[in-house]
Amino acid sequence: MVVLESIRRKDLWVVAILGFLVIASAGMLGIFGFQGLELFAKDLGFSVLSMFSTVVAVLTSTRVMPEELKQRTLYPLLARPISRFDLLVGKLLGSILVSWIGFLLLAAMTGIALLWFGVKFDLLTVQYLVAKMLGLVIVCSVGLTLSLCMTHAAGCTVSVRVAFASGLISRALILACASSSDGFRLLFKVLNGVLPAYGLFDLGGRAAYLHWSPVAPWVILALAAYMLIYSSSMLALAWIRFRRLAI
Amino acid sequence: MQLPIAVEDLHVQYRQKNGKIVDAVQGLSFAVQPGEVVGFLGPNGAGKSSTLKAMMGFLEPRQGKCDIFGLPSGSVEAKRRIGYLPEVALYYPFLTPLETLHFYGELQGMSGRTLRDETRSMLAQVGLEESSGKLNRNLSKGLLQRLGIAQALLGSPELLILDEVTSGLDPLGRRELRALLNERKSRGCTLFFSSHELAEVEMLCDRILVIHNGKFVEERNLGALREQIGRYALTFISRDFPKNTAQPPTDLGNGQFLARFANKKHLLEAISSVHGSGGQVLDVIAEEGSIEDYFIDTIERAA
Amino acid sequence: MKSSIIAMAAIACLSLSGSSISSIVDKVESPISTADLDVHESNGSVSLLGQFRTSVTSWLWLRTDLYLHNGVEMRPLTDGEVRNGRTGVGSADHQELAAIDADKLVTVIPAKSEDFRGILGDLERATRAYKDMAMHTHNDPETAFPLFRLMTWIDPNFVPGWTSGASLIARKSTRRAIVQSLEFLQVGLQYNPASIPILVQLGSLNAGRLRRFDVALRYLQKATEVGQKPRLTEDDNESLVDGYRWLALIYREQHEPELLAHVLREGLKRFPDDRVLMRLSARKAEIRKSPS
Repeated sequence: MVVLESIRRKDLWVVAILGFLVIASAGMLGIFGFQGLELFAKDLGFSVLSMFSTVVAVLTSTRVMPEELKQRTLYPLLARPISRFDLLVGKLLGSILVSWIGFLLLAAMTGIALLWFGVKFDLLTVQYLVAKMLGLVIVCSVGLTLSLCMTHAAGCTVSVRVAFASGLISRALILACASSSDGFRLLFKVLNGVLPAYGLFDLGGRAAYLHWSPVAPWVILALAAYMLIYSSSMLALAWIRFRRLAI
Repeated sequence: MQLPIAVEDLHVQYRQKNGKIVDAVQGLSFAVQPGEVVGFLGPNGAGKSSTLKAMMGFLEPRQGKCDIFGLPSGSVEAKRRIGYLPEVALYYPFLTPLETLHFYGELQGMSGRTLRDETRSMLAQVGLEESSGKLNRNLSKGLLQRLGIAQALLGSPELLILDEVTSGLDPLGRRELRALLNERKSRGCTLFFSSHELAEVEMLCDRILVIHNGKFVEERNLGALREQIGRYALTFISRDFPKNTAQPPTDLGNGQFLARFANKKHLLEAISSVHGSGGQVLDVIAEEGSIEDYFIDTIERAA
Repeated sequence: MKSSIIAMAAIACLSLSGSSISSIVDKVESPISTADLDVHESNGSVSLLGQFRTSVTSWLWLRTDLYLHNGVEMRPLTDGEVRNGRTGVGSADHQELAAIDADKLVTVIPAKSEDFRGILGDLERATRAYKDMAMHTHNDPETAFPLFRLMTWIDPNFVPGWTSGASLIARKSTRRAIVQSLEFLQVGLQYNPASIPILVQLGSLNAGRLRRFDVALRYLQKATEVGQKPRLTEDDNESLVDGYRWLALIYREQHEPELLAHVLREGLKRFPDDRVLMRLSARKAEIRKSPS
């Protein structure tokens, strides 16, 4: 249902247009007439892909529940023999699916653009795609939870800020922890554990630059485990909020 | 057999934005028997929709309980046996009526040919066949209401809970709906609906429940009520006065008398009595009273 | 959502289309600088576009550091770390394009011994571009050249983009590379006719690599003329002192003692602590004595 909605609302079409723009922009880069653009093209490609896929995930996941509440389509839906938990899980899975479709669509377009520059894809590129998809699951779960705890606009804003600033916050916590008292150090450790570590899922730094080796299999498994634990926690929070929500 | 609806000491509260608590429903108790058609009446803000929402599990009552076929309201098993029409009919704007029913039917547990046949049948019954391919966002309010009725009737539920069922429907649509609901009733379906259209209530219901300010006011069997609020009078010429008059007959002069009766039965007995005694019936008045008058009187008394 | 994505796409296209930027430059004022805020305060939309361009070029400028370090994010030591005696990772080669001296740099991602995050820290070190950067080497700066081209396209008034880009082109030291570098700088000079760094670099390349002293003198003299204005940025001052040095070297080469003396006098008046000018001044007597 979420996928069908995204298609009929033309959201995924916008993603496809964006992808074409990426290819067109890549074509314009050829005006440089200069060799050695591979690094730059990869850097730009992965950055754009990462940014737009996160935006799509946030916008989709923060919209699904508030739209149901606002449009009152929740009444006939919850009148069916489904539990509120089923509904939440269904909405989350739908958001994840849309985010993945948008991401893979953009990735395909970006891949075509990068082929233009003679970029060769390797195992690290595949690992980048897998890790990013795992990261988008966390983005969606956080977005869905926040959308139930605050207004749609606020949920969207906070989700975007958390998604793009999580790395910065993590850096700040590391620096702050180094020069703090024990009490604050504990607080920073707790904060670091609570905030979603989106940066872990972005292998763009390794994939774009030169001579980095693929990550070990245990890393991907650990990322998957972190994704499952964090997303489940978010889903549990969303469930606590939603199960007694008067609609 | 379990009661389709059993509400006991229901209390529903809302917290307003300024923090003030509003009692929407206060100590409401009632039950609905299998196969009954019950109308739920009350002025605006009486607590009707809140009661229906509590029955559907959309909100949690502060106190009391609602059981649907002996199961807690809002439980999956209870909802499996209910068809619900919300007060404001809104359906996914990006779907067509056919897709909407298909989607809800799948959630209902139907699939394959059964689902296909059921959705097409429903669309035909509510008169949406021609519009089945249009997007919901392009449908009028009346057509959306028909879609809402169709989704409520999907899967032939044992209990129909309908909030403002005739809202947005034209007279033809109302007639078609009445026929549809009467047909369901004849199949043993229990209906519980709220409406401001007292004429519809009168035509469909066996019993009415009246609430005001969240409190139960009155419960009446509709057949008995019609008789009680009816006007039955007889103008006659006779030596013997008929029995069971509501009050002593009024002398109209020239040997004519006017007698009033409590119900139609007494009137008919009086007519037989006048004829039997050789008298003459000059005029008969048999009017069933207005439910609207009764409703307004009841609410005013309750207020 | 559609409007926000289309807006972002439009901005991306605007940024990448050099021809559009050049036509806009005439209409739009230069990006915000600390020297001239008044104009931008009076025209919000113009100032906003200028600020956006400045932000993008600043972001690209910082990105060059990332390219040089092969994606490993570095940061300068904090005051607290310096006070505690911590030193940077150091580098095995000097790279003039690197923003900060490597002795004052550490990795943004901490080493395991300094990281409180446990498994999350290990994961970050495994997934991100991270390695032990002690005595690291730098990537070939040519990998960063597209960034400089992009910087100068987006913001033709971003002088470091022109000068660093020209340095990169000239690294090959072939005549062709030098000529290309000069052509690149000429374009930069068109957009920034009063830029001391560009003028000095034009002079130094002509003099140092092609030995075209007459041409070099024109640029360097122009640079010293522009340098007479009272408020100069740090970059301008650094380039100006270089300009005086080159002028002195050229006059020395051309055996012009009066001109040499004049330039040294002017230069030392402006930069009294400059050792190169002081050394040249001390040795100018020898030049006077040597036969022409």
